[in-house]
Order: sequence, then structure tokens, then C-alpha cells
Amino acid sequence: MAARLGSIEGDRRKAMIWSYFFLVIFVVFFLTPPVYMLITSLKSNAEISAAVSPWWVMHPTLENYRELLTSSTYLTFFRNSAIVSVAVVLITMAVSIPAAFALSRMKFWGSATLATGVFLTYLIPETLLFIPLFKIFVFIDELTGIELVNHWWVLVILYPTLTVPFCTWLMIGYFSSIPRELDEAALIDGAGYLQILTKVFIPVALPGIIAATIFAFTVSWAQFLYPLAFITSADQLVLPVGIITTLVRGDVFTWGQIMTGALLGAAPPLIIYAFLMDYYIAGLTAGATKG
Amino acid sequence: MAATHFTRRRFLKTTAAASSVAVLGPYVRTAHAAGKLTVGFWDHWVPAANDALTAICNEWAAKEKVDLKIDYIPSQGQKNLLTIASEAQARAGHDILAMPNWWPADKAKQLEPVDDVMKALLAANGAVSPLIEYLGKSSGQWIAVPATPGSQIKGPCARIDLFKQHVGLDVTKMYPAGAPPDNTLAENWTWDTFLSAAEKCHKAGVPFGIGLGQTADSVDTMGALFHAYGAELVDAKGNITVNSDAVKQALDYMKKLVPLLPPDVFAWDDASNNKWLIAGKGALIMNPPSAWAVAKRDAPKVAEQLWTFPAPRGPKGRYNPFIPYFWGLWNFSKNKSAAKSLLLYISSRSAVEKMVAASQGYDIPSFANLHDFKTWAEEGPPKGTLYHYPPRPGQIVSMAAYPAPPKIGAQIYTQAIATKLVAKYTQGGQPMDKAIAWASSELEGFMRA
Amino acid sequence: METSTIGAVRLPAAARRTTLRKLMRRKSSIAFLLTLPLITIIAALVLYPAFYSIHLATLNKSMEHFIGFGNFEFLFKRDTFWMVVRQSVVFAVSAVFFKALIGFCVAHFVHNIPAKGQRKWRGMLLVPWVIPPAMSTLAWLWLFDPSYSAFNWTLEHIGLARVSWLGDPNWARFAVILVNVWVGAPFFMIMYLAALKSVPEQLYEAAAIDGANWWQKLWYITLPMMRNVIAITALFSLIVTFANFDIVRILTSGGPVDQTHVFATWAFKVGIEGSDLPLGASISLFMFPILAIAAILILRDISRRGTEA
Repeated sequence: MAARLGSIEGDRRKAMIWSYFFLVIFVVFFLTPPVYMLITSLKSNAEISAAVSPWWVMHPTLENYRELLTSSTYLTFFRNSAIVSVAVVLITMAVSIPAAFALSRMKFWGSATLATGVFLTYLIPETLLFIPLFKIFVFIDELTGIELVNHWWVLVILYPTLTVPFCTWLMIGYFSSIPRELDEAALIDGAGYLQILTKVFIPVALPGIIAATIFAFTVSWAQFLYPLAFITSADQLVLPVGIITTLVRGDVFTWGQIMTGALLGAAPPLIIYAFLMDYYIAGLTAGATKG
Repeated sequence: MAATHFTRRRFLKTTAAASSVAVLGPYVRTAHAAGKLTVGFWDHWVPAANDALTAICNEWAAKEKVDLKIDYIPSQGQKNLLTIASEAQARAGHDILAMPNWWPADKAKQLEPVDDVMKALLAANGAVSPLIEYLGKSSGQWIAVPATPGSQIKGPCARIDLFKQHVGLDVTKMYPAGAPPDNTLAENWTWDTFLSAAEKCHKAGVPFGIGLGQTADSVDTMGALFHAYGAELVDAKGNITVNSDAVKQALDYMKKLVPLLPPDVFAWDDASNNKWLIAGKGALIMNPPSAWAVAKRDAPKVAEQLWTFPAPRGPKGRYNPFIPYFWGLWNFSKNKSAAKSLLLYISSRSAVEKMVAASQGYDIPSFANLHDFKTWAEEGPPKGTLYHYPPRPGQIVSMAAYPAPPKIGAQIYTQAIATKLVAKYTQGGQPMDKAIAWASSELEGFMRA
Repeated sequence: METSTIGAVRLPAAARRTTLRKLMRRKSSIAFLLTLPLITIIAALVLYPAFYSIHLATLNKSMEHFIGFGNFEFLFKRDTFWMVVRQSVVFAVSAVFFKALIGFCVAHFVHNIPAKGQRKWRGMLLVPWVIPPAMSTLAWLWLFDPSYSAFNWTLEHIGLARVSWLGDPNWARFAVILVNVWVGAPFFMIMYLAALKSVPEQLYEAAAIDGANWWQKLWYITLPMMRNVIAITALFSLIVTFANFDIVRILTSGGPVDQTHVFATWAFKVGIEGSDLPLGASISLFMFPILAIAAILILRDISRRGTEA
């Protein structure tokens, strides 16, 4: 018996060593592109053209960073991305939290269908919708004169379609896992539904809400198709599309700048992730495994 | 009013100044040029060129008291095409928009006729080639003005040293700076000698870098080659003529050339051939001088050895791939008079000269009298490298898919049918009939209304 | 007689019943109001355009005439269309398979190391998913560049031949799938890791005492317990991958010669770049049957899980 137990320990140790080995390999695989972005961003154009050694910087320079951070075009992209993302997060939370609360706690006629329906809409991809949406916006423009194409606020209208369904679903899962005893205790204490929502629920569900916020922000920040299809003026563009279309001039690519631009563009989601990693992960997994 | 306008226009220096002023003056005088105007120009890869154009436009805006907004829209990722498409759909957007080659004709129904502007410009700046007329006119009316920024020729840009060493040809003698071409050498510069030169360079490890992807560089090169053999995918009447001997000849030629090119040319985009040349890997690419200009900055030793000259001659003539840009005025624009005034201003000789200089000789104006600027003779090192860049007598400018009807030509161009046809036949290993049948079916698809 | 307070007002029983009933009625209306924004957004910006796209798909190129199934007939006759169908399916299925496989393996590795260190490793491994795909695809584009590829440089240094990553059709397809797997595998890993943690340790110990090896443990304990999570994440990812746009667009633009086009990118090229919105809409609509099947399967799974739980 002792020997068997001993071999279990031995097995575990072997498993651990092999795990570390493979983990290192996978980490290298997963982190190579970002690290390469960093390396390239520190190179001057001459060094990139010379192509002596792609994996190492001989003469590091912060020139690319300086150029981008003082470029009004780039800063405009950053600003637009930030405004749009924050606005979308606020809208998403304002829509999703009440809806998730209603769908998880208040069983009313059609709530089950609606909950499933919410999930299903997430499955209608943006690549299906962007063409008719374009035509619809043009039509609205003709009817009312409200310009919906080629302005950054179009994105604020469009992005919630991507964030709200998933965030609602995420939070339904989260809210459902909060014990009903809490509500009942609050009800007994005389609270109305609104008070239950604000004083009991939200504090307890805060991790889920934070996770949903992070998700909404990340999705908005990273969106590529809608800005590509709907926005053409440089001063209205957001980062992902802006980098590709303006840092590449004609047939000349300045890869140092492009990599710098991409890295700086990836920075906000990465920073948020670094600080709020546990919420992020908890939210994702809670929504999926409990929902 | 007339006197003040005459004084404003006095900056025009050429001998045609008097006549052009007489032509332009009255027009501008009666035009009510004020209000707002938004324009979308092609984003030049040379930032200085954008700045020069901005400066010229702002001069005009200050004089005419117009609230002018300029956007520079890149062609990278088809962004400019997307803009054209979305503005045409939305019937809203910029007043003037830069449109490459086929697009004015494709969007002719939504463009404002600019016969009055063109009349003045043709008188002042000389005639334009039949190609420009074909692309810029619809139903007999001019619907766009040939633009200088962005109009380029994608002829050969070769390494002088490598050509001397491996091909035994001194390109600077064949097309000397400041002088007409050497007749014997130039006559011998045909697609066949091109092929043998490619072979020699391939053996020497510095192959030619001819892209065969779906971006403009590749499409234009194939366009010139096909025209050199008289091969048309769709003729002027709209008949599909891809199943012709000329096309088969062109395909056979490519079958011989492809093995001599780097294997990944089928994925090349517009920047790949530049990178190929600047990295010193190849002896020749078909490209406007952008590669040379970047090499000047990043790889000066390579830049010193670069020479730009016309394309080889084929059985049907010497065709140089030319990509003209146009400025189109949407007919839903709310300030057409201001727009036309601006178009005149930025097409005047001195404005064009400034733009060409700022682009380091990259831009090629479409008007015949504007091909004699000093920029091309003086740019270097090596000095005179661009002398034979603008079209000189004896060359025909070609446009891929010409003379197909414009809507079909636009599709052939955007979908890169000629290049894909070559790819299917060479890299794809398909038998010629199957490849041509594929192209035929694609072309049929473009005929849909 | 118990009294309950509602809003700190003590009411007699009868009054309480009426107030409760009113509260119940109010509940439905409150609930409805709370979900109204959600319903509006979905109805206006998702359902309506979806139906509109069906209408669009029945119009001709200039959108002036109704041509019924004309666009679809046209598509069915094109070789390129069937090639795109094949490519999309192969792309989605293989990408999801490898994402699941890698996610599963890496989740195990993370699970096997001491809990203290797991957070660090987890953090590093999730990075590909956090970086906006548009940006990371640019990095991959640069890594695969025909002239300056760092991978080719390395290959040449160790004596192997250069690879035409984006020029050769098969390598290009590989590259697109590789980038998609790189972006998505961390998500699978996180999901599977959470599910792994919920499998009781005692089951494994009991099996070990009974002499089970690692493969048997996997097959008889781990997989059955994780079946739901595996199924749901795989189906979810299948839908998202099938509709993917960014990666193909930035990496290959569908090339070479349309051999990496998927529905989304081809619809964009034909619809917007080719100025034929109805045809583009028709292409996009083709995604729908496949997505619908996946959605039905997910729904079945969710309801099954619901009843099990």
C-alpha cells in the first residue's frame, strides 16, 4: 500500500516535470509574436532592411515610439478607440445588467425564450450583418439626414450588438449562481426589486460584472470589420483599422512603426488584463460552466 | 473683379500662361467659389508630397475663401476603393474623390461632367493619351480630371551592376540620362531578351522579382505583358476573348518565366517587390520609383545602382504599365463650382511641377506638355535614374484590362483575373483549357448587371 | 397572524394579498422594462438586418430589380464559391479541433503544477487571446513576410529550405489556421482548466489505487466529467471561427488565387469591393444553415445540462 502511494507521488512528480517542459514550449509558442513585435518596434528602418538578425536588436532605438506618440493621426486613433470603447462599455452594462437580472431572477412569460434568444443572437456573426446594416444606415441618412456612415459614433451604435448578448448571457449565468436566499432575505426585510438589484446583487456579482466589462472593452477595442466597412476618414478611424491603413503608405511598409503601432494598440487590453486577470478569468469560466 | 483675378493668376509662368489665363480667368471670375468643400486625395507614400498638395490647396482655399477639408485616403488594403464604393452607395461623403484608373467610368452615373474644366486644361497643358480619354470619358463627356498624384508607371527598375555582370547589358547606355535611347540596344530590349536576362540572373542567384499576387503591381505587370502580345480578356464590345491565340501565347511566355522567379511571388503584395529589391535579393522589379526612393534612405548602396527605364517590347509594341489617377466630382456634391475651381488650380502647370518635385519624380502627369520637368532629369543618385521614367515617344501606355467596357474592366482589374489565370496555369499546374475556361466563367460573372 | 412589512408599512393580511398581487403584476412589467433595451438592440440591429440581408440577396446587382434566387443560382455555378465553402469548412473544423486539443493538453499541464505557480503560467498563456487579433495578425504577417520572414531566416540558419508561407496555397492555408489556433487555444485552455478543477481529486486517487494509468484516467474520468464543457466550447468556437474575418483579411486577403478565402472575406470582396451588395449578402447568408445547425446542437446541450444540474 505504501509502495502504491509512493508511486502515486512519483507519478505526480513525473507529471509535473513533463508539464513544466511542455509549458515552456507552449509559452514560447504563445509569446513569440508579441515579443517579436517588441523587438521589431525597437529597430530603425535601416536595421530592419539590413535583416542581419530578426530576433535581436543591435541598435535599439525609441524613434518609432517617439514618432507615433507625437503623431496626431495615431493619437486620434487612440482617442477614438478609447471614447468608443468606454461608451460601449457603459451602454453594455446599462443594458445587460438589468436584463440579466430580470432574466435570471424574475420568471415572467417568455423569459426562457428570451434568454435562449439572447444567446442565439450572439451566433449571428457581424460578417453576415455588415452589408445590410450598411444599406440600412444609408437609407436612414437619406430619410432623416442623420449621417451614420463614416463617423465614429456609428461604432457606438453597432458594437453593443456584439457585446450585449454575450455579457447578458455571462451575467445570467453569474446571477443564477447567487443563492436565492439572499433575495429572499432582502425581500423579507422589505426591499423592492430595484433595491435588491442595487444593494444585494451588484455587490455580490461584482466579479462577474467586472469580467463582463473587461470583455466588452476588449471586444470593442479589437473590432476590425465594422470600422473597416463603415469608416473611411482618417480622423474618425479607430486603432485596428487605422494602423493598417495609414501606417502603410502606398507600397512602402514601415514595419518598425507598424509593429510599434500594433504593440501600443494592444497595450490597453493587455494592461487591463494584467491588473484584473483573476476577474477576467473568473468571469469567463463562471459564465460558461455555470450558465 | 477681372483685374484682381488676373493678378492672382499671374503665377503661371509657361508660354501657355497667357492663353491658359485667358481660358481660366473668365471661368473663375464668373464662378461663385465659396462655402465648404471636402476632398479625398490619394495618400502619397511620400509624406512630403501630401504636404505639397495640402499647401497648394490651402493657397486656393485662402484665395477663394472656401472652408476646405482634406482627407488623405490610402490605397493600402483597398481603402480608397472601399471609400469610393461606400460614398457611391451612401450618396454622401467627399465632394472630390481621387479614383484610380477604372473607377471614374465605373461610377460614371454618379459623377458630375467636367467638360468645362477639361477643355481649359487640354488647352493649357496639351493633349492626353487615348487611354486617358477612354478612362475619363463616359458617353462622350469627361467625368473626371486626370490627377497627377498617384499616376505612376510601373516599368522596370533594375540593378545596373547586376545587369552588367550577369546579363552583359549596360542599362545606362540603353537608356542614357538626358538623351534619347540607344536605338540598337532599345530595339533589342524585347520580352524574349527579358526572359533570357531573367534566366541569367536566376542562375546567378539574383532573380527578377515579378509579383503574381492580386495587388495592383502584379495586375499591372501582367496587363502590360498581355498587351504586348495583343492579348485581350474582353474586347471593346464586351465579348469574352480570353480563348484566343494571343492569350495562349502570353500564358506560354509566363510558363517559361515563372520558374525563373522566386517561388513565393504568388503571395506578393505591392510592397513585396520593393522589399525584394531593397534587400539586394533581385536584379529587377517592375515598379515605380518608390523602391528606389526608400532604398535611398535605407540601403544607399543599392539605391546608387538602380535605374528606371521602359518596359520591353512585344510583338504588338512597347507597352508600359500606366496607372492613372483621376479626380472625380460626385454629382451629389453641394459645392460643385468651388470643386471645379479647385480642380483647375491643382492641375495648372506650376502646381503640377511642385507636386512632381515633392514626390521625387514619382508622379506622372497625364498631359503631354507636362513631361519635361527638371525633376526627372535631376533626381539621383545615380543622377538621371528617372530620366526615362515618364513616357517618351515610341512607348504606349497600357492599362490592364483595356479596352474592355469600364464596368467589366474594373472587375477584371480588382479581381486580378489575368494574374490569377497565369497562376492557375503555372503554379496551379492546370491545363491551359481548364484555366482559360475558369477565366471565361469569371468574366461571364462580371457581365451581370 | 404574521405580518410582513412592505416598505416599512405594516398591513393587515387581506391588504397584503392585494399588494402582493399588485407586486406580481408589477414584476412582469418591471421585468419587461428591464429587458426592453436588450430587446430593442437585438431587434433593430441584429434581427432586422438579418432579415434584410435575405431581402437584399434577392435583388440584382444595382439593387433595382427583384431576381429571386438568381444570386444563389449564380453562386452555385461558380467553382470559386464551392472552393470557398470547402475552405471555410476545413478551416473552421481543423482550427477548432486543434484549439480544443492544444487547450486540453495545456490545461492539463497547468493543472499538474503546484497551485501557487499556476497563476503566473496561466497569465502568460492567455496573452494571445487578450491581444486584439488585428494587431497580432500583423505580427504574424511580418513573421511570414516573403523577404524578411524571421522564420525563414531561422530555417536557413539551421540548413533547411525557406518556406513560402503565404505564397504556396497549402502553406497559406496552414498559416491561416495556425494564427487562428494561436489566438483561440488560450480560451479553450482557460475553460478546460476551470472544468478540470471541478473534477473531484478523489476520483483520480481511487483510480490510481486501482492501478489505472494516465490514459485510462483520462478516458474514464476526465473526459466524461468534462463532456459538457468540451462540447459547448467547441461548438461556440466553431461558430465564431466559421465567421472569422480579421485573420484571413490581414494575413492573405484570401490569396493566393482565392485559396484562403472564407465566407466572410469573400463576401466582403465581392459585396463591397466588387460593388455587388446583393451577391455579397447571398454569400454571407450561406453561413447561416451551418451556424443554425451548430446553434441547435448547443441548445440541446444546454437544456440537457440544465436538466442534469
